Formats: sequence, structure tokens, C-alpha cells
Amino acid sequence: MKKKDNFLAAFFKKLAYKKKPKAKSFYIPEINEHSGNAGAGPQDPAGGGGAKKEGKGQGKRSQKASGAAAVSTDINENLEFISQSFNLPENADIIIRQFTIAGEVRAFMAYIDGLVNKQLVSISILRPVLSLKSGDFERGKKLIDFIINNVIEISGVKKSANPSDAIYGILAGKTALYVDGCDSYALCETQMFEKRAVETPRVENIVRGPQEGFTEDLKTNVALLRRIFRNKNLVSEYLNVGYRNNIQCAVVYVKDIINPAIVKEIKRRINSIDVDAVIGDGVLGQLIEDEAWSLVPTMLTTERPDRTAYCIAEGRAAIIMEGSPFAIIVPVTLFSLLHSPEDFFLKWPFAILLRFIRLLSLFLAALLPALYIAITTFHREMIPTDLLISIIKAKENVPFPTVLEILLMEVSFELIREAGVRMPGIVGQTLGIIGALILGQAAVQANVVSPVLIIIIAATGLGNFAIPNFDLAFAVRILRFIFIFASAVLGFYGITLVLVALTGAIASMKSFGVPFLSTAAPRVRKSFDSFIMWPIWKQEMRPDVLNPLDTRKQAPISRKWTKEDPDSGYRKGEDDA
Amino acid sequence: MSRIRFGKYETICLLVNLISTQTFLGFPRTMVEIAGTAGWILVIYVYVLTLILFLFISKLYSHFEGKDLLDIAEIAGGGVARVVVGSIIVAYLVFAVSIILREFSENMKVISYDASPVSYISLFFLSGMVISAYIGLEALMRYSGIAVPIIVTGLIAIFIGVSPFIDLENLMPILGNGLYDIFVKGVLRVSTFSPLIILYLFNPFIGSNRNFRQAGVYGISIAFVLMLLCTSIYLSVYPYPFSLQSFLPVHTMARTISLGRFFQRLESVFMFIWVTNALIYLSSGFFLINYVFKKTFNLVYYKPLIIPFAIIILSISLLPDNLMSVLKLVNDYFRSYVWITTFPIPILVLIAARYRVRGKKGVKAR
Repeated sequence: MKKKDNFLAAFFKKLAYKKKPKAKSFYIPEINEHSGNAGAGPQDPAGGGGAKKEGKGQGKRSQKASGAAAVSTDINENLEFISQSFNLPENADIIIRQFTIAGEVRAFMAYIDGLVNKQLVSISILRPVLSLKSGDFERGKKLIDFIINNVIEISGVKKSANPSDAIYGILAGKTALYVDGCDSYALCETQMFEKRAVETPRVENIVRGPQEGFTEDLKTNVALLRRIFRNKNLVSEYLNVGYRNNIQCAVVYVKDIINPAIVKEIKRRINSIDVDAVIGDGVLGQLIEDEAWSLVPTMLTTERPDRTAYCIAEGRAAIIMEGSPFAIIVPVTLFSLLHSPEDFFLKWPFAILLRFIRLLSLFLAALLPALYIAITTFHREMIPTDLLISIIKAKENVPFPTVLEILLMEVSFELIREAGVRMPGIVGQTLGIIGALILGQAAVQANVVSPVLIIIIAATGLGNFAIPNFDLAFAVRILRFIFIFASAVLGFYGITLVLVALTGAIASMKSFGVPFLSTAAPRVRKSFDSFIMWPIWKQEMRPDVLNPLDTRKQAPISRKWTKEDPDSGYRKGEDDA
Repeated sequence: MSRIRFGKYETICLLVNLISTQTFLGFPRTMVEIAGTAGWILVIYVYVLTLILFLFISKLYSHFEGKDLLDIAEIAGGGVARVVVGSIIVAYLVFAVSIILREFSENMKVISYDASPVSYISLFFLSGMVISAYIGLEALMRYSGIAVPIIVTGLIAIFIGVSPFIDLENLMPILGNGLYDIFVKGVLRVSTFSPLIILYLFNPFIGSNRNFRQAGVYGISIAFVLMLLCTSIYLSVYPYPFSLQSFLPVHTMARTISLGRFFQRLESVFMFIWVTNALIYLSSGFFLINYVFKKTFNLVYYKPLIIPFAIIILSISLLPDNLMSVLKLVNDYFRSYVWITTFPIPILVLIAARYRVRGKKGVKAR
């Protein structure tokens, strides 16, 4: 502890002021690409050593493309390769365990601490291998096959002669075993890491239907799907994305239903992605969607396995990413975005009612403030006299023009919403309610806005929350402001102009080759579940726009019991006695 | 372009929209001006004439499946014929789009924006046209497929809303201004169906000749029903002298609607269908101008033409002094001569091409 100066010393120090030498500030030096000072550079798993920067147009960067093509038969070279690839000794998570089999053959295991089940590694790999005796095996390249087939007590073991695969396996939580003299690694499935349990969906809550949502674990998500959709043709193809984070995503589809061109196109787009890190489905979605500049989403995101299963049974594909509790469904149409997972579990008249309410909510959320401005500014003659009088009375003390009132309240509403989302749990909810009440009340009392406007903004907000798709609701929030400006400038004429331009733009959009406004435009075969949902037993065909391999979903008479006589039956009107 | 395909439904919708645009403008009044209280008979007469002419043209077209009028002109008279026919069509379309742009803008000014200059209103219509042309034909057709049923429903709602005021006495005398005015003077009103020209140009996108014929027949017939309803209801709601005065008959009808004490003065709602109809007309016409010009002069792209044509159209539309000049131009010149591009020219081109093809076949056979 620093010794405290006495008063006199401190006084003299003040008198003889001396500027303290300042410590140097840190700055990030520029990297000279040609001088080799680039530091670690992009990860080169094959042990290329130096950084390998590729310029624009030099093709896709790939971890697998660089480095050694075959595994060396010398253990020292392999140890060197693993050490260099994982930046040892700086990288403390990589465990390389060297040992000698039967006192004569050197070997090592490599894995990442925290990603593997250590107990499994010790009991099922290390112990059996170390219990081998000298007469049990023959040295040479075949020794690794002998160990895989006869020694390791783990169900999932794969032989890999590609060094990049070994690196990727270790990164994915596998344990790589190498034995001197062999030209391959044994990659053992020893993954075990902390993950969230399957919980109730957080965004897509429903009253009726399953209450399970996806988690961040890819395998769990695919398993959830397989549990609902037990079909041998349900295929899950795994692809890696992200040059540096090299994360896995699964393309899940039913092979004998989906049009193969859709799968091919999805794989083509994912495989062509050349970015450093793809973290989460949101990033992947932006990288593969058709309409990158569009406000309206052209993909459906869901956190529900039941909805995903329904979609893939229709002939669509699901893309699920490791680390993301959402599945991306493609191709979709605008009508799919207005569906809720609950629709499928309700009787069709209820579902139709809900869909009409959602359409109304879309209309309110996008257009209500704009219509209010147009009517009160340009087309006052439309307002019935009684209503006009009450609007004027409420507004007579408000000094602002209607458009400014609307903008004030809209911006306040957006602020409350954003603050509510950022604040934790209950505090956020309370802030939302209290903020809206106090702000609205205070604004009316201060004559900043008219009470009618509070009703308009509240109805708009409710409409926005009732839109079942999060991305679509976001798009509507932005569109609302565009409509407000259009109506402030030109009234109904402006709103119609924007509406026509918007619908035209949406009509030109496609989602993985499917026109986004089908089945309305272009008109295709009548769908029994586009906007209006017909009874389940009438939904005989899959969506025409998907061109599925198997177009029929049900037999022409799916409820065969209606055509058969029950064992103990009677005809209506017959005398039971 | 060749990969673009649209269905019969979309084509019918577009055709109905293009033809029925006049309903929103002064069509019923024009019919009354020509035939008096027999304006509705004139509509039937013009429809029958148009149908006969169209069926004749579609018969001639059956030999040229998948070819548009410019391709056929090229068969008939080589590149020169293509350029001549293409230039006539472009000139017609530029004139039509400019005049309709001005007419809609003027009417808009009368209805709601009396303080705004016409150029300001036109500019927004023009921006809609430009955006649509950039988005492309497929989107335009799809949009028509969605919007036209709404427009038709809106129109029918206006007809139903005004139906309590119908008085059949207003239709008397039944033959109006007389047979001569209806059947001789009225012949030129086949121009009403002049937007049929789009069918001759969209033939490659429509598919088979059967689709072409059906789209034409259905399109003409649906538009006819709307126009007949509009004219006859307009005539029967208002007395003859009054029906000669209204600039915008449908708007006048919309103003008349009164559903109880609360729902009155609903004509502003009518603006939604009105502007949508106008934008589809103007956008498709504008797209066609660019497309036909591109094809006539064998250009690779049409998009660089969009802005220059937009400026030309806006400039032409602002040439007439006022609404009266526009109406005079439309009634005295445009509606009197525009039928020439829709019926005689295509018939001549098709007959010439047919003879040319036959001649070539004869030479080959020999």
C-alpha cells in the first residue's frame, strides 16, 4: 500500500507541480499483407503455417482446401500437425494425450477439453487400448482398423484419412486417435457439452397443440423432428458453413415428397457462402434469401418442431443450424407468414376466424395511422358529421398538425417497445404498460395529442402484435411510417400509390423459385390452406407451387369410415326397435 | 423475356382493367352524348362489333401461334414493316398514356386536390409507372390478377349502392337520339375496346391460340358487362339533361350513395379503386411502350428507355391547356381514330403475312 504523505510534504508537492509521465496508449497496428506480419491469420487446420489471405474473386475460401492431403505415417509429424493446427501451446483447451500400446507402439489422442465426455474417453478408448498385449496385434497400417473393429468400445467411430476431417472432428467434440505407422485417424463420437433442455416455445406460444420448442442443439432438434415425423425418407443432410466458425447446419426434407431442385438449390446456396462466421439462423437466412433488399421476409422462421414437420410434409425443406433454436422453412408464400401453428390444431371455422383477425391486424398495423391522417387532412368530407364534431372538439386544444401528433406517438410507442424488450423480464413488461399509460395520459392532458389519436396508436400497436410472424411484423412497422408520409403528402392518393408499388414489388418476389404471392398471383390450382383453411379432410393436395414429387396428401376419401357401415349401425329414420 | 409466362386469368384481368378504365373517366357520359338515353344500346352494339372483329382477328392469328404483331409484321414485310408497325403502335401508346395521365390527374385535382398543380399530381402517377416498368411485366400481370377483382367488386358496390335511386323512366325514349346516331355515328366507338392491342403484343407470353382467343373473348365480355351496367345505371339514376353534365359519372354515382345517417359521402373510398385502376392502365401502357420500342428496333434492353419515355410522356401530357382541351382531344380525335391501330392495321398485317407464308410454301412445293 502506498505510504501516505504528511501534510507538509503534500503541500510542497502541490507547489512543485510536475506533470506525470503518461503511459503510452494502445493502438492496433496495420497489417502488412506482404511482409508476413499478419499474425495468426485465418485458421489453417491443415497446418499450413502462415496466413493465407485471398483477395476478391479468388474463389471460395475453404478450410479443407489447404494443407496436407494425406495423413503421415510418422507420429511425430502428426503431433506437430495437430499442435500447429491448434496453436499449441497457447491454446490451453486442446488435450493431447500420448501413450504407448503394449510398450512398443506409440500413439496419441487429441480432443478439446469441455467438448468431450472424459469418462467415456478414459473407459472406452484409453483403457481398452492400453490393455492390449504385444501378441494381440500386428504393427503397420492396418493396426488402426484392428483398434477400431476390436478394441474401442464406442458405437460411433469413423476412420479418416484426411487431416482436415480430423481437425474438424476434434472441433466438433470428437476424440481423434492416432497410432504410429498408420495413415488414418480414428474419430470417436465422444461429444458431450452443456445444453438447454427442451422447453416451451418462447415466441410461438399456442393454447392447443404441442408445447415443445427447438433448442440450440442441432441433433436434439433433428431428433425432435424425427420423433414427430417417423419416416425412413426423412433425410437430414449436414453442411458446414462459415470459413472460420465452420458450423454445421442440417437441411431436412422428405425425399419422396420434395422437388429435388429445391434441395439442390438450398445446398448450392449454403455451399457457396463464403463468410468468416455464420452465427445463428438469422445470419444464414440473410445470406441465402432471394430478396436481400426486401422488407418483407421470404422465409419462414419457426421454433416449433410440429410446424416444421407439417411444412416438410407439404414438400418444403427446413434448415436448422447448430446453436439456433429456430428452423428456417423454404420455400414459402406470403400467406404462410400469416398462418399460426395453432391453426392446424383448431377446427377450421375457428382457424378461419383467426386468420381474418390476423388480416385485419395486418391492415390496422400498416394503414390505420395513415388513413387517419388522410381522412382528417385531405378527405374530411368522409367523416360522418357527429364523429367529425367529436374529433374537432378533442383536437381543438392541440397545437400540432395531425401528422406530427402521429409521429410523436409512434416514436414514443417504438421507444417504449424497444426499452421494454431490453429491460429484464417483469421490469420490461411493467415498463411497457406503465410507459404507455402514463405517456398517453400525460400527452392528452398536456394537449400534445388528441384522445382519438391514442386510440388509433393503441389499435395499431395491438394489430402489430397480432401478426404471427416476427419478421413480417417488423416489416409492417417500417411500412407504417412510409404510409404515414405518403398520406401526409397526398392522402388516399398517396396511400394507394404506395400500396400499388408495394404490392407490385411483392408480386415480383420469389422464395426459392416460388412466386411469393401465389396462390393468388399467379393463380395456381386451388389450395385448401392458403388464406382460408378448409377442413383437414378436404386438404387433399400439396401446394401446387411447390411442384412436389407426390402431389397428393390424402386419399380422395380420407375418412373412409364415412363410406362404410359400422358393425352395429342403423339408418336415420329407421325404427331402432 | 421468353421465359416469362402468365396465365389466361391474369391476361383477362389486365384486359378488363384497361378497357374499363374509361368507365372511371367519361365513358357513360360520352355514350349519352352520342346516343342519348339509348347509350346502353350503343354499348351492346359496339360490343357485338368488337367481338366479331376480334374473332376474325383470332382466326387469322391461329396461323401464327406464339408470335406477336411485330413478328408477324416482319414475316409480312421484313424489318421495314416491323419498324413501321412498331412505330405506329409506340406512337399510339405514347399518345394514349399521355392523354390518360393528364385526364386522371385533372380529375384527381377536381375531386380532392384542388390546391395542387396538375404537374405535381401527374408526377406521382409517373413515378408509379416508372417503378412498375422497372419491376417488370410479370409483377404487373400478377398485380392485375389481385387488384382487378377488387376494382370490379368496388364498382359493383357503387352500382348496388346507387341502385335505390334507379328510375327506369329516365331510360325513355328507348332509342334515344335515333337509330342513325346509334348505329352509324356510334361505329367509331369500337375504339372503346382499343386496349385489345395488348393481346396482339402479349401473344408469346400467353401461350396457345386457345388461350389467346379465350382471354380476348372473356376480357371483352367482362368489360362489356361492367360498361353496360355503368351506362345503364347512370342513365337510369339521373335524368338525361343531368347525365350530359357530369365529368366523372362513376364519381357522381359514388357521391349519391347514402347508407343511413352515418355512412355518407363515401366517394373518397372510391379513390382507392380509381387510382389503382389508373395506375394499372398507365403502368401497363408505359411498359408496352418500352417493350414495343425495344422490339421494334431490335434493342437488347428496355430499361434504359424508361426515364426518357417517362419525360416524353409527362411533357406531352402537360401540353393541353386545361381539362376541357383534354376532353376535346380525347372525344374528337383519340376515340375517333384509335380503332385504326386495333383493328384494320392488325388485320392487314395478318392477311399480308398469311399470303407471304403461303407464297413461300408454294415456291418450296414447286
